[in-house]
Amino acid sequence: MNKNIIYFDNAATSWPKPKKVIEQMEYYLNEIGGNPGRSGHRMSILASRLVEDAREAVAKILNFNDTSRIIFTKNATEAINICIFGILQPGDHAITSSVEHNSVMRPLRYLESKGLKLSIVKCDSDGSLDPEDILKEIRPDTKLVVLTHASNITGTILPIKEVASFTAERGIPFLIDCAQTAGAIPTDIDIKECENCILAFTGHKSLFGPTGTGGMCFGEKVKMRPLIFGGTGSSSDHDTQPNILPDKFESGTINIMGLAGLKAGIDFLIKEDIKKVREHEKRLVHQFILGAAKIKGLKIYGPRDPEKQVGIISFNLSNLDPSKVGLILDKKYSIMSRIGLHCNPNAHKTIGTFPEGTVRFGFSYFNTLEQICAAMRALQELADINNDFN
Amino acid sequence: MLDGVITFFASQQAVRAERLLLNNSHKAMLIPGPREISPNCGVALCFEFDKEKEIINLLNENKVIFERIHYYPEAKQISKWIE
Repeated sequence: MNKNIIYFDNAATSWPKPKKVIEQMEYYLNEIGGNPGRSGHRMSILASRLVEDAREAVAKILNFNDTSRIIFTKNATEAINICIFGILQPGDHAITSSVEHNSVMRPLRYLESKGLKLSIVKCDSDGSLDPEDILKEIRPDTKLVVLTHASNITGTILPIKEVASFTAERGIPFLIDCAQTAGAIPTDIDIKECENCILAFTGHKSLFGPTGTGGMCFGEKVKMRPLIFGGTGSSSDHDTQPNILPDKFESGTINIMGLAGLKAGIDFLIKEDIKKVREHEKRLVHQFILGAAKIKGLKIYGPRDPEKQVGIISFNLSNLDPSKVGLILDKKYSIMSRIGLHCNPNAHKTIGTFPEGTVRFGFSYFNTLEQICAAMRALQELADINNDFN
Repeated sequence: MLDGVITFFASQQAVRAERLLLNNSHKAMLIPGPREISPNCGVALCFEFDKEKEIINLLNENKVIFERIHYYPEAKQISKWIE
């Protein structure tokens, strides 16, 4: 891959990964093999220990204390589906926001077509949410609140700590979509205290694991039905799904190779210190905002404040279709971005960019201020050509 | 001498238990679950049976779910074979 690539699509998947991530995946394939929990030989046991190592790493980074309540899935979408379909029944009431990703909206809309009562709380045009607006929607039949921790469009961080206090007081399960925050910012709530909370995370973004990893951790008071039933390596004398955790939610063989990589990614983060990662991404956002202010016709959406957002920025250049901007950034300037609606039509409707969408930059710890400056030069050139024609 | 066996409902609990015992200076060894006492789970944990009370407390304090504690003198034989 060309070393001059500027990869600003970390909100889709992070790249590059720390070297150890790839080394540990190779190590599993070459030296461990084995299927955890199925056999009793040393290779299976080594695989079991590797998976437990990955659970402990997730517990550490998400400030959680019970590895049996960490369920691995292939991505955050699967974890979110398990939670939504595992908790809600027709006739229940659920609350969510107007900036949720389709991994949340599509299951909820499907259940709505089957009788779920759904309240969608409107966020402001910068993607921010007043937690009191969630409180106002809570009613006796509310069975689940679902919120993204940070928007995949504008990066806006939502007030999950405040909402967690409302839901905890009322014993309502609270699902938090941490796809854009796990590994990027501290979770802000102590899951040990939030017994009604479920944190859904993905492994392949800020946790630096490979694709095919993700999961959730959940508090003791959360009761869910499984979505996938099958072989768990346990209770093999029964043909019904076991209740024991984590097996209840982990049927079939999990992505052991991927979890070896995920563990290495989290180890890297812990070694670097997530606070340092956060400060770096805030500097990148700040640099972009400063540079963008000098470009005529460049509009940034969202809070435009590094304190109020993760390392994600959506923008448009006036009169230029975002898909053209994305194409030119890629082909002429080797800058990778994501354009369009980002699997989130509702967030774009909320910020006023539907149906044209935006150009989205998603930063990681491996991006540099020099890369931001290069992007500013590219965008200035694009804006100049565009302004000449207009 | 490893003459006790803890059986589990899930292998993840067995691995947690192994870690807990080893981190607390107890001897422990994961073995294939003996069929006559462990139909539920592929692995079981050998330990020193005379430390039974202490180990049960350790597992309970750390919310490790186990099926049963067995006195399993056959485990001594297994230890000898593999030494």
